[in-house]
Amino acid sequence: MSSVRLQGVSRHYRDIHALKDVTVEIASQSLTVVCGPPAAGKSVLLRLLVGLEQPSRGRILINDRDITDVPAAERRIGYVPQSFALFPHVSVFDNIAYPLALQRVGRSEIERRVDQVADILRIRPLLRKRPAQLSGGEKQRTAIARGMLKNADLFLLDDPLVGLDFKLRESLMEDLKDMRGELNATFLYVTSDSLEALTMAEDLIVLDAGHVIDANAAAALYQQPRHLRAAELVGFPRCNVLPGRLEAGGLCRTGIVDFRMDRPTNFVGDVAVAARPEHILHRPDGAPATIRLMENIGAECVVYFDAGGETLVTSVPSPSVAHLDMGSPFPFAVSAGGLLVYDRATGALLGRGGEAAHA
Amino acid sequence: MRRTSWREHAYHALLWLVALIFFAPILWIVLCSFKTGDQILAVPPKLIFTPTVANYAKLFSSRAFPRELFNSAVLSVASVLIAVAVSFLAAFSFSRFKPGGTNFLMFLLLSIRMLPGSAAILPVYLMYVAFGWKDTYAGMILFYAMFSIPFSVWILKGFIDGVSPRFDETGIINGASWLRIITRTILPQVMPGVIAASIFNFIFVWNEFLFNYIIGGLSTSNIPVALASGLYSNGGVDWTFISALTTVYIVPPILVVYFFQRYLLVGMTFGTVRGEV
Repeated sequence: MSSVRLQGVSRHYRDIHALKDVTVEIASQSLTVVCGPPAAGKSVLLRLLVGLEQPSRGRILINDRDITDVPAAERRIGYVPQSFALFPHVSVFDNIAYPLALQRVGRSEIERRVDQVADILRIRPLLRKRPAQLSGGEKQRTAIARGMLKNADLFLLDDPLVGLDFKLRESLMEDLKDMRGELNATFLYVTSDSLEALTMAEDLIVLDAGHVIDANAAAALYQQPRHLRAAELVGFPRCNVLPGRLEAGGLCRTGIVDFRMDRPTNFVGDVAVAARPEHILHRPDGAPATIRLMENIGAECVVYFDAGGETLVTSVPSPSVAHLDMGSPFPFAVSAGGLLVYDRATGALLGRGGEAAHA
Repeated sequence: MRRTSWREHAYHALLWLVALIFFAPILWIVLCSFKTGDQILAVPPKLIFTPTVANYAKLFSSRAFPRELFNSAVLSVASVLIAVAVSFLAAFSFSRFKPGGTNFLMFLLLSIRMLPGSAAILPVYLMYVAFGWKDTYAGMILFYAMFSIPFSVWILKGFIDGVSPRFDETGIINGASWLRIITRTILPQVMPGVIAASIFNFIFVWNEFLFNYIIGGLSTSNIPVALASGLYSNGGVDWTFISALTTVYIVPPILVVYFFQRYLLVGMTFGTVRGEV
């Protein structure tokens, strides 16, 4: 069981700062997901942890032991890279067995453990094949199997499901959760897909432009992101962000809704108000709006509509809007209690909405 | 079923004609090797004749030829093995560690290959005489290896660049040594490049005349030198000797190219096609 701590870790390549003063803690036996947009520094973070690169500054501790200068091979970390990196000239079995073969584990033990992991990932019939004979999903499963087979209790997965179709991703997410159950280990999982992040994570770390902008339990981070960018980056459909102004006495005004903060604040000035789609409700007696776009995703329909000079998005049960089309009226109401208010200049969370002044 | 048009027939006929034009001298020399001296010089040329192996019997019974054949084989194989081994490691270093000035060094390596042999022969000759390396196997092998390395590095770097560094990283993370990564992970993936480089170098050394003639000697002379020195006999060109010797001489390269032609074709693309899984 490994807990991981990064203390003031920075990594720069000449004048490009990939990671800036990252301080974060990953609990032992947790499934922590690092999410963020492309070029946020997610893969660099994993490469530093696994030992493929050295931080420019800062320390990395695993179980309170400083491993910053420990060679990659001695770190006891399993790693699944973004590219499969399967050796094309050997069989799937030999690819998976690679970490154990290097540790000079006996042949019978290797076979037992490869069979075990192949059963979990449902690739046993493929063991004699070459990587070129596998589909994308099978290659990914093989790469995961190899990463998991190392004698380690910290596993790093670098966007392992990127580029795979939805059904395959769904099935592999289940497999990864099963694997974690079997291994009872700490998993650090990187993705740029916020839906995948929320599906997988127990704990969530949000990286943006090399900074950790928020880290919390996944549900808590979704409900109350501590930074505006975290609100924007985590969640599907996207979070609505409205420009507004917080006045003395805690009255917040936006072009859509005016409301009072749930707790008093001394801040007065420009704010950004974040409204999750579930806090924007389709109400026959609500404020007027016009549908711009509808995306039916099965049980739910994502509706983009124009109101008060803004384009907002919400998600509603598909049957409830089956009769509507683009250009149809879409009266709505905002649940002020679900709104989050951020300092527009710094992105810092100022508080939640409370009672609506009027909608 | 697709029907072949007359244009395609004409195109194929033209290809065969061009191939035949290039192949005609080889066919002529091979046929001559089975003729007597008079049959070779007959006008008009005799296409129907009784073949004889007397030219080969005479060739193989001579004192010098078996040694010259042996020299050609030893110099070619040994220098190619050394050149490819050194080049592979150098190419790996250039590809992965990218030392400062790699691009300039790669250009320099290629430009060495553009240097005409005659421009280098005098300093090489003086150096070999001074070191006592003239007409020694070690000296000749070293020279051919040295001359083959730049081109091999250039070819192999292209191939190794095409192998993702993620393979190396997988090895590093799991505790593989660099030697193991190079020999077990990279080498199998660039084997077509290694074979292509070996074939190019083999053909170069097998055909090399100038340096063997100047810095070689009686004990290290190869077939091209033997061909030049045995050209004239009894006051004229010895066509029976030339034809038999040339036929024997061209067999090894033809066999090498025949058996490894698919690697040679890959080699000609210089590893520009990425082969990641």
